[in-house]
Amino acid sequence: MKNEKLLEIKDLYAQYNTDEDIVYAVNDLSLSLDRGRTLGLVGETGAGKTTTCLSILRLLPERIGEISKGEIIFDGMDILSLSEDEMRKIRGKDIAMIFQDPLSSLNPVYTIGMQIGEVLKYHGIYKDDQAIENRVEEMLDLVGLPKERKNDYPHQFSGGMKQRVVIAMALACEPKLLLADEPTTALDVTIQAQVLKLMNELKERLQTAMILVTHDLGIVAEICDDVAVMYAGSIIEKGRIEDIFEGQVHHPYTVGLFASIPNLKVKTRRLSPIDGLMPDPADLPKGCTFNPRCPHRMEVCKTEEPPCVMIGEEHMVKCHLFASKEGGRP
Amino acid sequence: MKDLIYTEGLKKYFKTPAGLLHAVDDINLRIPAGQTLGVVGESGCGKSTLGRTMIRLIDSTEGKVFFDGEDINTFDKKQLKHFRKNAQMIFQDPYSSINPRMSVSQIIAEPMKVCKTEANKKARDDKVKEIMNTVGLALRFYNAYPHELDGGRRQRIGVARALALDPRFVVCDEPVSALDVSIQAQILNLLMDLQETNNLSYMFITHDLSVVKHISHSIMVMYLGECIEQADTDELYENPLHPYTRALLSAIPIPELRREKRAEVIRGEVKSPVNPAPGCRFAPRCPHAKPECVGEKINEVQITPTHKVACVLYY
Ligand SMILES: Nc1ncnc2c1ncn2[C@@H]1O[C@H](COP(=O)(O)OP(=O)(O)OP(=O)(O)O)[C@@H](O)[C@H]1O
Ligand SMILES: Nc1ncnc2c1ncn2[C@@H]1O[C@H](COP(=O)(O)OP(=O)(O)OP(=O)(O)O)[C@@H](O)[C@H]1O
Ligand SMILES: [Mg+2]
Ligand SMILES: [Mg+2]
Repeated sequence: MKNEKLLEIKDLYAQYNTDEDIVYAVNDLSLSLDRGRTLGLVGETGAGKTTTCLSILRLLPERIGEISKGEIIFDGMDILSLSEDEMRKIRGKDIAMIFQDPLSSLNPVYTIGMQIGEVLKYHGIYKDDQAIENRVEEMLDLVGLPKERKNDYPHQFSGGMKQRVVIAMALACEPKLLLADEPTTALDVTIQAQVLKLMNELKERLQTAMILVTHDLGIVAEICDDVAVMYAGSIIEKGRIEDIFEGQVHHPYTVGLFASIPNLKVKTRRLSPIDGLMPDPADLPKGCTFNPRCPHRMEVCKTEEPPCVMIGEEHMVKCHLFASKEGGRP
Repeated sequence: MKDLIYTEGLKKYFKTPAGLLHAVDDINLRIPAGQTLGVVGESGCGKSTLGRTMIRLIDSTEGKVFFDGEDINTFDKKQLKHFRKNAQMIFQDPYSSINPRMSVSQIIAEPMKVCKTEANKKARDDKVKEIMNTVGLALRFYNAYPHELDGGRRQRIGVARALALDPRFVVCDEPVSALDVSIQAQILNLLMDLQETNNLSYMFITHDLSVVKHISHSIMVMYLGECIEQADTDELYENPLHPYTRALLSAIPIPELRREKRAEVIRGEVKSPVNPAPGCRFAPRCPHAKPECVGEKINEVQITPTHKVACVLYY
């Protein structure tokens, strides 16, 4: 595997300028992703996960959404300086996205075959109709749907099957980067297991890099190589999957996330969720954005933004707790 | 323990252009006072329909539901009103189940108004504030509208509204599926605390098998309208019998690394619930399918007093 950087986001800020407020959805976010790797992006509702993905595709809602600062380098290109025309050629071809509500990305009046074919036609990879037709069938086969069903309409499929159609559409052009925003949330476990298995196989076969947005840490454990935990628009901890799941040192927010999940093996009467809620992104707390909910809050947390502390080779925690001593450990 | 609510051969069929859709098919279940029955199964297997039929939001096609020993289908208007007060539902979709044009306080007060449970507006307002406090909704949201709230708070409105009448039985239809784990944990704790203080009974519908294990005393597994296995929670997780239950449990993603490789995932799609042929509805996907699985209705086998399964492997 080529250990080569595919995507690099540097100090990204994105905001929504609404009539009433400015919503600071992504704040000083940096991350990088190598070819063929899968990054799990986890965090609570409103953390800015979808906004991050939309920024990469430059699909923030017109007029309201705005990338105010930062850099996004994809495959050597500076995404933010491309023209809309150039961007359109990248979307769906080099970078594809499975949207959070995948079922709504299918058009009810066209057959699923037509919809997959449309993507291929648009990017002009396959010129003649026969080639497109063949590719459509190949894609359906890849996601485990009988090719005869290409002439069926979305309503004739179950939820799990529709999901696979959406995945087939996203993968049809063999993107270098796939942004999958909660791709299995609407599915139940047996179908979810099928879809995850499929995505894993594809990753291996096509060397697709992927950002997988989810709040299911079980799914992260199953298919991700790296994990970034997002809170109030920033990444507060990131590392390899081993760092996050088995490392000894974590951001207090990450600790809280894990304590919130019911454990199948240990019987507890009460779960221990993090108190309180994600702050309002139009009115973020000073200092560390997590400080009002943090059980380890110190004076400095209320006033100063925490530094990004390297705990291990690739393990970063953005927290004052670990900044105090050399070497990063408290 | 006395059962607060139980069913006998409960069925709900829908007429569709293609034929009769067996959404709920011959369900026998019982929920003692103060306990939770978890209902799990794939999307479309009939969980919500079962929940709605249990509290007579829709009428059953056949079979009976007994609440406090009385058949709810025989209730006259007055009894039904009383029953409505006692049996509530938290709906699957916190977005579409609340009226966007009503404020938070109006939404919570609405059932009290309809059922005239509080003497006057003042008493209602007090009760609204009390409930908001119970479910962890800050009073500054009293006059807010649902669209101004995030999913977690919106779901709390759903919980608050269901609790406004001090019910004894609540159908919780995927109350936490749309929420983050930390908010999910807050709501689960809340539901369990309320159960303890008010001796509430829940029917808890979900497809999250970690959540259902955490909250339920016993669990029913549904497949295409039928109950295929039912057992006390620990018994079900320690000794799952039906091949579908086993597949379900082995498909749970666990937040841990380097587990033993999971058993082969089951393949294939759920068959149509329209005019199903007699026999096991899971057979087309079952790794243990035998000729006996099709042709005749599969009977439930009682394995222990608290564990039954509908599968020919245990005949
Ligand atoms: N079009 C918009 N206008 C104004 N605010 C918006 C808009 N879209 C998103 N936001 C706000 O930006 C913040 C980040 O939203 P985003 O959708 O990126 O979060 P997320 O992490 O994807 O959450 P979820 O898990 O709920 O999908 C939220 O506070 C959200 O309310
Ligand atoms: N009003 C209706 N008319 C016709 N069919 C219906 C109606 N309501 C539900 N159904 C069908 O009954 C079956 C069971 O639906 P139900 O909503 O109870 O499933 P569920 O188990 O709650 O699924 P999910 O997990 O997706 O919520 C489905 O096949 C559904 O299409
Ligand atoms: Mg999102
Ligand atoms: Mg349902």
